[in-house]
Amino acid sequence: MTKEKKRVGVYICHCGGNISDVVDVEAVRAYIEKLDGVAVARKNMFMCSSDGQKMIEQDLKDGLIDSVVVASCTPKLHQGTFRGALSRAGQNIYLLEQSNIREQVSWTHTHDHAAATNKAKQLVAAAAAKAEMLEPLEPIKVKTVPCGIVIGGGIAGLRAVRDLSKWGMNVVLVEKSPFLGGRTAQLDHVFPTKEKARDLLDKLIKEVIADPKVTIYLNSQVIDGGGSLGDFFVKIEQTFRGCTEKYDLKELEDAIKDLPKDIKNEFDYGLSYRKSIWMPYEGCWPSIPAVDWENFQPEDADKVNGSGFEFQPNKEIIEVRGGSIILATGFDPYQPAQGEYGYGTIPEVITLPQLVRLMADDGPSNGRLEINEHPVRSVAFIHCVGSRQVEGINNPQPDGKVNNYCSRACCTATLQAANELKERYPDLHVFDLYQDIRTYGHGHEEYYQQASKNQILFLRYDPLNPATVRPSNGRETAVSITVKDLLTQGEEMELGVDLVVLSVGMMPRNIEQIIDIFKLPQGADRFLQEVHPKLRPVELAVEGIMLAGTCQGPMDITEATAAASAAAAKSMNILSQEYVYLNPYIARVDEDLCTGTGLCIEECSEVNAIRLENGKAVINKTICNGCGMCVAVCPNDAINIQGWTIPQYKNMVSKMLIPAQELA
Amino acid sequence: MTKVESSYTPNILLLSTIDCAYPGADWAGQMHMDHYVQAFNLRVPSPAMFPEEFYFYCFEQGFDGILIMSCGAECPYPGAYDRLAKRVDHLYKMMKERNLETDRLRLTAICTVCAQAYVKEIEDMAGNLKTLPPIKKALGDIPQGVN
Amino acid sequence: MESNFDALIIGAGISGMQTANDLADQGLKVLVVEKEPSIGGAMILLSKVFPTLDCASCITTPKMSAVKNHDNITIMTLSHIKSFKREGMLFKVVIHKEPRYVDEVACTGCGKCEYACPVLRSDPFDFNLGVTKAIHLPFKNAIPLAAVLDMDYCIQCGACTRVCPVPDCINYLDEPEDIQITVRTAIQCTGFDLTPMNAKAEYHAEDLENVISPMQMERLLAPHGPYGGILRPSDGNLADSIAFIQCAGSRDETLGIPYCSRVCCMYAIKQAMLLSGILPLADITIYYMDIRTFGKGHDQFYQNAKAMGINFIKAKVAQINAAENGNIKLRIEEIGQNGGLREVEHDLCVLSLGMVPKNTGNNPLHLAIGEDGFVASINPKTSPTLTSESGVFVAGTASGPKDIVDSIIEGSAAAMQASAYLQNLNISEVVQ
Repeated sequence: MTKEKKRVGVYICHCGGNISDVVDVEAVRAYIEKLDGVAVARKNMFMCSSDGQKMIEQDLKDGLIDSVVVASCTPKLHQGTFRGALSRAGQNIYLLEQSNIREQVSWTHTHDHAAATNKAKQLVAAAAAKAEMLEPLEPIKVKTVPCGIVIGGGIAGLRAVRDLSKWGMNVVLVEKSPFLGGRTAQLDHVFPTKEKARDLLDKLIKEVIADPKVTIYLNSQVIDGGGSLGDFFVKIEQTFRGCTEKYDLKELEDAIKDLPKDIKNEFDYGLSYRKSIWMPYEGCWPSIPAVDWENFQPEDADKVNGSGFEFQPNKEIIEVRGGSIILATGFDPYQPAQGEYGYGTIPEVITLPQLVRLMADDGPSNGRLEINEHPVRSVAFIHCVGSRQVEGINNPQPDGKVNNYCSRACCTATLQAANELKERYPDLHVFDLYQDIRTYGHGHEEYYQQASKNQILFLRYDPLNPATVRPSNGRETAVSITVKDLLTQGEEMELGVDLVVLSVGMMPRNIEQIIDIFKLPQGADRFLQEVHPKLRPVELAVEGIMLAGTCQGPMDITEATAAASAAAAKSMNILSQEYVYLNPYIARVDEDLCTGTGLCIEECSEVNAIRLENGKAVINKTICNGCGMCVAVCPNDAINIQGWTIPQYKNMVSKMLIPAQELA
Repeated sequence: MTKVESSYTPNILLLSTIDCAYPGADWAGQMHMDHYVQAFNLRVPSPAMFPEEFYFYCFEQGFDGILIMSCGAECPYPGAYDRLAKRVDHLYKMMKERNLETDRLRLTAICTVCAQAYVKEIEDMAGNLKTLPPIKKALGDIPQGVN
Repeated sequence: MESNFDALIIGAGISGMQTANDLADQGLKVLVVEKEPSIGGAMILLSKVFPTLDCASCITTPKMSAVKNHDNITIMTLSHIKSFKREGMLFKVVIHKEPRYVDEVACTGCGKCEYACPVLRSDPFDFNLGVTKAIHLPFKNAIPLAAVLDMDYCIQCGACTRVCPVPDCINYLDEPEDIQITVRTAIQCTGFDLTPMNAKAEYHAEDLENVISPMQMERLLAPHGPYGGILRPSDGNLADSIAFIQCAGSRDETLGIPYCSRVCCMYAIKQAMLLSGILPLADITIYYMDIRTFGKGHDQFYQNAKAMGINFIKAKVAQINAAENGNIKLRIEEIGQNGGLREVEHDLCVLSLGMVPKNTGNNPLHLAIGEDGFVASINPKTSPTLTSESGVFVAGTASGPKDIVDSIIEGSAAAMQASAYLQNLNISEVVQ
């Protein structure tokens, strides 16, 4: 099928001499007028003036032309202006082609008027060649499902939910665990405002649960999903929490008093034990206990008194739909390897999150600093455990890579804990083994200054020659550390301490399933990878899926909530509109030519916008970004990018090199 | 082997990306940087869209050289630059098979303010092409001795 | 011009532009007020940006054109807020617009006036390393791309009006005006200043020509920079031993700047890497207290710089003095194995200045200011863009030092808070 060629109107601009001082505009016009397919060719002092625009409108209205070439300045300056002229004349705005004869001709070939004029003729002829093959295009229109889906109920997820619901948008929150609050709930108080972490959470959670726009699914796993920008679906599997009624703590304790307390409590990072029906802390949300099905033994059911329990881990599959998805799946603290700095082999070696739990009022030792049942008189912190690792020095993770990134929040968190120890126990000796102190944030440097005032002793270690930690058998202190201190003369020092605290970094939570379902990109650091750190910092390459908080990389709470609000903003840009309009410059398949080779699908592996249906390639219009990689590999020339087709380019190329005698 | 500069004016096709190289070319204009004239920009979303055959089509139409002015590392399309680089390698192989000089094709990255690099690439290619026969001659379209 | 807007954005740097684009995408009418003759802020001045080494202009210009081309956004340049008063649910705002002396809409940005103008003045875009004319385009990818006349330098010779192809485009009699508008929310995105070069008297930066600011180094490194290469300002020679002095205006209680400026380690490392590409034989040394490369991909960037042979010396720089031939002598106290006081010589030196609040004392929105002088957030942990004024939000470096990524994220976050605020305002308006 040959498409009918458009009748082209060509309009050449003098630009008040900027073009016409170098290019013989009349010669260009006269030459172009004679070309096949060109219906009219006109010139004007300023094409961008209303006078110039009216010329175009009039010719369109008079039915003289179908498509337009404006030869003037670079298209980035006045594309909008000239599209406006087409639009006012009732013509499709994509029937415009521009020829850049100012920046790329008159301003770069100032000293050779004849050559510049010839080049202008050639470029305008090429533009006319494209214009005669242009087709009207329409932006891709997607009806938006007015609901945001947020995955993860930690501080970032809650922030995002609250922002969307406050705007008045419907939100679905999916949380894997039976309780909201995430890692923040495990903190005592936060730097630098010294607020109680749970006060921050409580306020946010109260607002979230009070809002009828919010639907919360706890104990829920994402098991499938799909769709695209404006209309996603997520399939979740919700496991029944086992308890139906709201208990107060006293009643709960009575009901489950005979259950053995023999499960390591993950909320205290394994420093305490809990029962198989549990709540993480007083005042958690919901304050309804949950059955830990993994550890719930059949005989446990007999030991429970009272009603309101249901001992079948029933599952329900729920499908939710939304116009956008925000991922707020969070982090895990780095788990040191068995024996790394004595971790797991020496009981007096713990991690910073464990210390934070130990020091919390409701922690495993009720806030007393006790380890292995003896008091602590001296403590050493070691920074960058599981962060800033060096290949060949540190042991890699199962994927063969070391964590060579900085975890950002641990320096200030470490000094916060160190200062607090020192302030609670003034006689305590505190050592701090670091590489660089990175108290970068607002109000963070004060912790560093305070640490010096508190006479915390800093030692700087070489990451290529890290400290060694071993039990100090028979000595006064439990642990012995050997380290070379770079702050002094690099001499090897030996420190005897009662407690070693490893400032562990962050690693992304394992969300393999979600990554598989939505084909999400990860960086070398295994965190989810944004499209571009500056162009689109909270968006994933899959349009419509946003990132909030530490699933993207280490952050503190301030940074995580800012990112969450940013992700909410990006969601609102979609959700607030009835329709989402997407750029029409995407791939289109000519079904007559497509033989279903599937080569295009292979080529599109990063974006996944093409699938095979009934032996023909089908483009997912809302995912395709118009890169055209598929175009190049199709052996049947069956795919093109709308508005930038290979036949259009070939027509341009064939008309560009006009023989010299014709030019003259 | 000494190369002899011929006196013809080679034609150069520039495949310039909308996001990077084309604005770079505009910048050269705003700086009024006069440069070799017979170089023609085609504005393209990503040069990764062009099949090998397109390049030979352009040579047949009379372009003596083609400069692909990409975004390089700033490429906004995932995977496009890598594929483009591979295609150019493949093109070099095909050109050798057809006895076409590989100097006629070059892949480069030009940023939105890389006016100097833009002009230098064009001048360098023009200089290189002048040491080669015109493309029509190289493709054997025009028998020896005519014109 | 319309006089009612949903949102007022003060400052069109990277965070302000992000806020404007996000609010406009949600269908809100936005007014952007910018003090300078072009939007773009500090980022458009940079060469390349860490840690990706993307060209700064390539990342900024799309955001600038998005602001310009958005149907819901109006831009006012050369303008600042004169007064800002709450009236019920609204804010009444008076904007003071300085004269451009050029018709911003009619000007085609051709630059003929700039060629014709006989008066040279030093160019603030190049941090005074280069010159422009009294009438000039702010820079080559400015938005709006319209000339601006610096009346302080203009001799009213008429050379520009004679060559200008647009009739009546240049007007020597242009006057300032005050424009009254009404908005429902405002976002302050006014950015930062650098610590003054002369903040530390013992560095003698004002007397030493080859001690330059990091923004000057950015301009030297930019492909469109003033000299087209890395040359010493004093004699135009190539530099072959370059020093970066970290925390020259941060983490220094004697300056009243006790905080860390967050970006200086990374920009110094970035500049060092770019320099070592351009001047492969040059010695480049960074004198630091702590290397704070904490952001995503930043520590890896630091490791690459070390592998490239850039020297990192943990030392305090006590004094900077002149040496022969325009060279510079640093008195340093090195910490560690080769520790102690010594003197080292370099031929070019960058003071890694920190970020300080802009326009202290000028606070037309009456926002609470923190001890550090930046706009204070009332809820820094869970809603960092909230200010002491209900309905007024803050984003980017106006509330404290931040890198570009964090500023952009805050720009979007402020947009979210502002649009949620407006939705609730709508509800309460209906209730009333």
